[in-house]
Amino acid sequence: MSTKSEPTLQEQLAQLDTLIAWFDRDDFDLDEALQKFEAGVKLAETIKDRLATLENKITVLKERFGQPGGGH
Amino acid sequence: MLETVLSVSDCIALVNQTLEFAYPAVVVEGEVASFKVSKQKYVFFDLKDQQGVLSCFTMIYQLRQPLEDGMTVRVVAQPRLTAWGKFSLTIRTIQPVGEGSIKRSFELLKAKLTEEGLFDSQRKRPLPVMPSRIGLIASVESAGYSDFLKILGNRWGGVEVVVADVLVQGAEASQQIMHALSHFNEQPVPVEVVVIIRGGGSAEDLAVFNEEPLVRAVAASRIPTLVGVGHEIDTSLCDQAADVRAATPSNAAQLLVPDRQAVLSDVAHKQRYLMERLEQRERTVRTLVDATAVTLLDAMQRALRARQKEVVYAVGILKQLDPKTVLRRGYALVRTRQGTVVNRETPVTAGDQLTVELNHAILEVGVQHVNKK
Repeated sequence: MSTKSEPTLQEQLAQLDTLIAWFDRDDFDLDEALQKFEAGVKLAETIKDRLATLENKITVLKERFGQPGGGH
Repeated sequence: MLETVLSVSDCIALVNQTLEFAYPAVVVEGEVASFKVSKQKYVFFDLKDQQGVLSCFTMIYQLRQPLEDGMTVRVVAQPRLTAWGKFSLTIRTIQPVGEGSIKRSFELLKAKLTEEGLFDSQRKRPLPVMPSRIGLIASVESAGYSDFLKILGNRWGGVEVVVADVLVQGAEASQQIMHALSHFNEQPVPVEVVVIIRGGGSAEDLAVFNEEPLVRAVAASRIPTLVGVGHEIDTSLCDQAADVRAATPSNAAQLLVPDRQAVLSDVAHKQRYLMERLEQRERTVRTLVDATAVTLLDAMQRALRARQKEVVYAVGILKQLDPKTVLRRGYALVRTRQGTVVNRETPVTAGDQLTVELNHAILEVGVQHVNKK
């Protein structure tokens, strides 16, 4: 499960979309654009790294579900 | 034994004890006849074949599928003598047998639950786009389980899969699946989606997923559900009660998570787009700066030309004021001997010596007479 310090992939993808939307705005500052661009590229690289390396974690519950109440 | 006199009820109890000892449970297959439900609670019907008939009794909540006359069923039951002296089977479990009966039971339940609105499309909730924690109800021994995890791993990463290992066929399966479902629904931090999967099987194997209590439990889940049971051609009522139906366990994994290759290429595309936008913006700014520089230069040149004209005009004026220019026009400059220019205040009397400067000569002259003007 994700923690506050580590955004989920979905959150990072949303951040990337926000950055891209910023570049489509009319009020535009070149200095800010450079900062946003660098942040965007860094974010994209992080996402790619995560996608390439993340593995699923499988946990089989010890509970037996045979009897009524067995699932609790 | 013959000396013992029993009351009627004792006699019935004795027979029942004997029956219970001899036949704790019997499994009987036969055709349903005279099916009826009393007070919406008690179920009575006969089980018959060509040679005989048995009375059966059960409670409505023990019926997992609808029954009607003419269906072939298999019951697990306890034979007993009722208080009215009638021999009867008390049913523990009952299931339709044979394609026709299974299909008929399926259709009856489907019609009933459709009527109740259990399968309505407006009840369906969307699944999370990128779930980070899912509950999986499956048999860990099954091929469907392996297929699901394999496809899930190929497509996506970072998902925590919490598995409830249950039986997915047989008499106990639906109870186990329901317990697992309520387990997930009762957790303080619930999973984001519950996935129920089972690989292909015969109609009787898959009948579990058409049992009414389980179908209702799937529909009632607080957590969104994804059900992938059997092969593509199979549809179960659990499928239809779920928020999202998958054709197979593999398909369930496909519907659950995005494909990382697709996301990777999307991210790469966005990265290129960022670069293009930045370059485009840079070009715009550069063009703007160039245009501004040209305008500035123009303005400066215009201002310079205007100043030049002013200077030429001023020089013209100055030239008009030059005493030499005045002398050239025929005027003379008169000074005293001391060199002071003679004006209204200068005292000049007869006999004074003055210097008169003309354009072409300087005359030393004497004043003969002064006439006041």
